[in-house]
Amino acid sequence: MYGGGGRTWPSTTSVSSSGKRIQKEMTELSIEAPSDCAAGPKGDNLYHWVATLLGPPGTPYKGGIFFLDITFPSDYPFKPPKVVFKTRIYHCNVDPAGNVSLDILTENWSPALTISKVLFALRSMFTNPETHKPAVPGIAHLYLGDKAKHDEIATEWTLRFAR
Amino acid sequence: MFKSNNVTARLFERQICTPAPGTSIHRARRFYENIVPSYTIYDVECPDHSFRKFTEDGLYLVSFNRNHQDLVVYRPTWLTFSCNEEDCDTHDLPLKARKFESFFTQLYSVTLASSGELICKDFFLYMESNQFGLFATSTAQIHDAPPTGGAIQGVPSVEKITFHLLRLEDGAILDERVFHNDYVNLAHSIGAFLYDDLLAIVSLRYQRIHILQIRDSGDLVDVRSIGEFCREDDELFLDSNSQVLVNHVGNGFHHSLPESETSFLSGLKQRLLSFIFRGIWNEETDQTMRVQCLKKKFYFHFQDYIDLIIWKVQFLDRHHLLIKFGSVDGGVSRNADSHPSFFAVYNMETTEIVAFYQNSADELYFLFELFSDHFHVSSKSSLHMNFMSSHSNNIHALEQLRCTKNKATSFSQFVKKMMASLPFSCQSQSPSPYFDQSLFRFDEKLISAIDRHRQSTDHPIKFISRRQPNILKFKMKPGPEAGSTDGRTKKICSFLFHPILPLALSVQQTLFLQASVVNIHFRR
Repeated sequence: MYGGGGRTWPSTTSVSSSGKRIQKEMTELSIEAPSDCAAGPKGDNLYHWVATLLGPPGTPYKGGIFFLDITFPSDYPFKPPKVVFKTRIYHCNVDPAGNVSLDILTENWSPALTISKVLFALRSMFTNPETHKPAVPGIAHLYLGDKAKHDEIATEWTLRFAR
Repeated sequence: MFKSNNVTARLFERQICTPAPGTSIHRARRFYENIVPSYTIYDVECPDHSFRKFTEDGLYLVSFNRNHQDLVVYRPTWLTFSCNEEDCDTHDLPLKARKFESFFTQLYSVTLASSGELICKDFFLYMESNQFGLFATSTAQIHDAPPTGGAIQGVPSVEKITFHLLRLEDGAILDERVFHNDYVNLAHSIGAFLYDDLLAIVSLRYQRIHILQIRDSGDLVDVRSIGEFCREDDELFLDSNSQVLVNHVGNGFHHSLPESETSFLSGLKQRLLSFIFRGIWNEETDQTMRVQCLKKKFYFHFQDYIDLIIWKVQFLDRHHLLIKFGSVDGGVSRNADSHPSFFAVYNMETTEIVAFYQNSADELYFLFELFSDHFHVSSKSSLHMNFMSSHSNNIHALEQLRCTKNKATSFSQFVKKMMASLPFSCQSQSPSPYFDQSLFRFDEKLISAIDRHRQSTDHPIKFISRRQPNILKFKMKPGPEAGSTDGRTKKICSFLFHPILPLALSVQQTLFLQASVVNIHFRR
């Protein structure tokens, strides 16, 4: 690890320190993970994770199993991880390509946050969408204007694409 | 069942005794012990066609001409001749017996292949209830085709594959279905499965299982396509919903989500992954252990599951499909046994995965050993298909399986080998009673009910009575009567058995494109 040339030296340390941080979060995760989510690295790549969220009862996402890709940047935790839904979902904070735009994953990111916190935030997204700054304004409008209609559509999406 | 082996005694016995309930067909089939295709006419003068098979009802013999353009269909008849002397059994057969036309009457010949396409001579499915035949023609394969429009990398492409539905009675082409720049495994009908009126066609390149219905009118109707989506109206639903989503883009390109759309899991993959996930989730109740377990068993292999492709499909009943998944390399290569593979049972009505196994799973093997007839499904209409020997309905076949199982050096290797035959290819077995293992014993290396080319030797193939061991019932010898002059040339042989009559064709070919030698085996 120390054999690298002078130029690669700083990036090597940053990668390995982010790696250590992810490793640490992984061990903590099994203790403090929310009860209806799970996550883990894809294969042996620490920077590519998969998370699974179970749609909570009492929401239109009930019964759905949602898979998400979580990609950690090499300068993690100074930059937030990127979260993408691999399962189709009808939600105002998920754009048509599956990209999640939550406050804490963008401007409100803090290096103090952990993967468990991200999972908590994703989970609460099911119950309380961030309608003030949506990725899909149309869905947010419907949610605020006609929640029954919104829930009906979201339930249909869950049944069709998330089981 | 019968006290005597004498055919006359058996006929009398049949007249005076009622068989045990439900055994009348089994008893009738025992007459095949007396009536065997023991006489061979060597090197019959016959048209230079590649003979495909007899239909399961015995009404048609299907063949293709040598340039792979035309379908030629024959009606099996029986050699008739008269003899005006006393003892006609000792007489030689008349000269016309050497002619193919004395046994088969040509019904018609139709051109199926057009503009660069050739008939796939390994492909033929028969819908017995309507006497419809399904044939395939295709253009040449392109091996290094770029994966365009959602196609997967590493699967060859064929510019045009056409499935033709014909009424076999008169050769009328009823309907056709064309696949462009796609790949369907046509060899031995692997890529298609017919069950009753439902037809499943597997597009390897686009990873879709197309379910079609063959209507009595002769129309091929799309029922659904499983892969990217599960329900037939999923795509429509998504399109109508995404109106809201693309509104705010407002740059005139309405349907412009091409790249993003591929990043979602396909409908079938989502079902598969959530089934596997739920299984592991429910195994553990403690959350800490659960996360650990998922990490090791699920997330670690996540990409491997994502990379799995559909290899082959068969119907288990009208709702359930048995789907084999594997890696891209294994799906295209001929020898897929060495690749790990997975089996899923999918209910296409509820769109749920019902079960999932790896090809080394003991559990699946034991199900297969006990209930193999549930895997060997055939359409309801065909009666004689119910009498094909399998290790679940035939004690001798079971003994043979046990013997192979005990001889196997490693049980897991044995399981994998057995599982390699699943899902079964559609209509790949001959229903001929001469392959009934409760009637006859034969060397399965040289001949069997499974429709495959086999390496041929100069020795005749023996069919030995099952009930009276050591009694040879009949012999079949493919190739010229005198044997081949050159013993070193490799010879390939295929057998076509009529499903009811004591009549079979053997076709022997050498590798050097010499004309094939066709023998007719029948009861004189």
